[in-house]
Amino acid sequence: MREVIKLGFILLLITSVAAVVLGVTNDATSVIIEQREQEEKIQALKVLIPNADEFTQIDDLLLADKQDVVEAYEGLKDGVVVGYAVKVNPSGYGGDVNIIVGFTSEGITTGIIIGSHTETPGLGSKIEDEVFVNQFTDRATDRALISVKRSIEQDNEIQAISGATVSSDTVINGVNAAISLLREVLMKHSSGCSCYG
Amino acid sequence: MKLKELVYKGIITENPVFIQLLGMCPVLAVTNTAENALGMGAATTAVLIGSNFVISLLRKFIPSKIRIPAFVVVIATFVTMVGMVMKAYLPALDAALGLFIPLIVVNCLILARAEAFASKNSVTKSVVDGVGMGLGFTIALVILGAVRELLGAGTIFGATMTWSSFEPAGVMGLPPGAFLALGMLLALYNKIASMKLKKQ
Repeated sequence: MREVIKLGFILLLITSVAAVVLGVTNDATSVIIEQREQEEKIQALKVLIPNADEFTQIDDLLLADKQDVVEAYEGLKDGVVVGYAVKVNPSGYGGDVNIIVGFTSEGITTGIIIGSHTETPGLGSKIEDEVFVNQFTDRATDRALISVKRSIEQDNEIQAISGATVSSDTVINGVNAAISLLREVLMKHSSGCSCYG
Repeated sequence: MKLKELVYKGIITENPVFIQLLGMCPVLAVTNTAENALGMGAATTAVLIGSNFVISLLRKFIPSKIRIPAFVVVIATFVTMVGMVMKAYLPALDAALGLFIPLIVVNCLILARAEAFASKNSVTKSVVDGVGMGLGFTIALVILGAVRELLGAGTIFGATMTWSSFEPAGVMGLPPGAFLALGMLLALYNKIASMKLKKQ
């Protein structure tokens, strides 16, 4: 009985020291991590909504029933909405793919930024290549984008990367999720706001 | 045993990957590029040196009955610290290695060194053993990563190494490629080792 208490006490001592060490490390690093993530986000938003000088986050409640949507932002210039950015994380071949999609206030895409993902290097990771990413710039959003394996004929078609159809489709699905949020929530939401002048 | 011999043992005669075949999960999973392999090797080495140091320091304090939970707590603490520091200062590497950093906790190489070496030897020897084994692990991972990256994407550390008509074999970047490359490297390593043995 006494031995059990002694062993338990030693383990408690070791785990307590470990907890203190981890707490100190967390205090030291969490500030830096948060700050860096914030900076990266602003950087990405500036690329996607270049003429905005201020960004406000859209209320999470408005995104609640939208699948794959993580968060959304309005870009403002002198208090007027000039564009939107929507962060989505559709599931790809190897896990979630983080994408930020930019739109003008008229609902034309300004481009996409592929963030962290775990797609297969050399195959799925080609979703980061300019040739693929640039296809998402200046697209109208009245129709959902579709994936094709031939060359593009319609203006809502995106050419999938050969050998990485799943990863390509993942990005297209993510952008479509952003588009549906834009058409159904964001553009209506802000037109409601403009009533107030 | 001299300290120099300890390092040599870790890198060559008892190489954790090529001889002991320890820690196969990260060996196979994150060696698709040389850079990821180097990052994983460095993170594992940091944890191994840290855990060997603390465990050999506490070897007289930890009763043998609870040594395994005590070792695991020490190892998990170092892994979590490495994970936090990496997230703060090396975000790109953190994104690439992601899930595999927390999994260093269950890398049997680290627990094996704690159990077989650090809990029985002095602090200096244990740290040197950590350095040797860590280096051996890192070198093996980088070789494997370089081979897979070269065959699978035509690059090493992101720099193009092949002629323009070279068609990369995508499979080398995928899990089966890890087994293929590891098998070939093991064969090569053993061939060289046995040739050396004959000479002696």
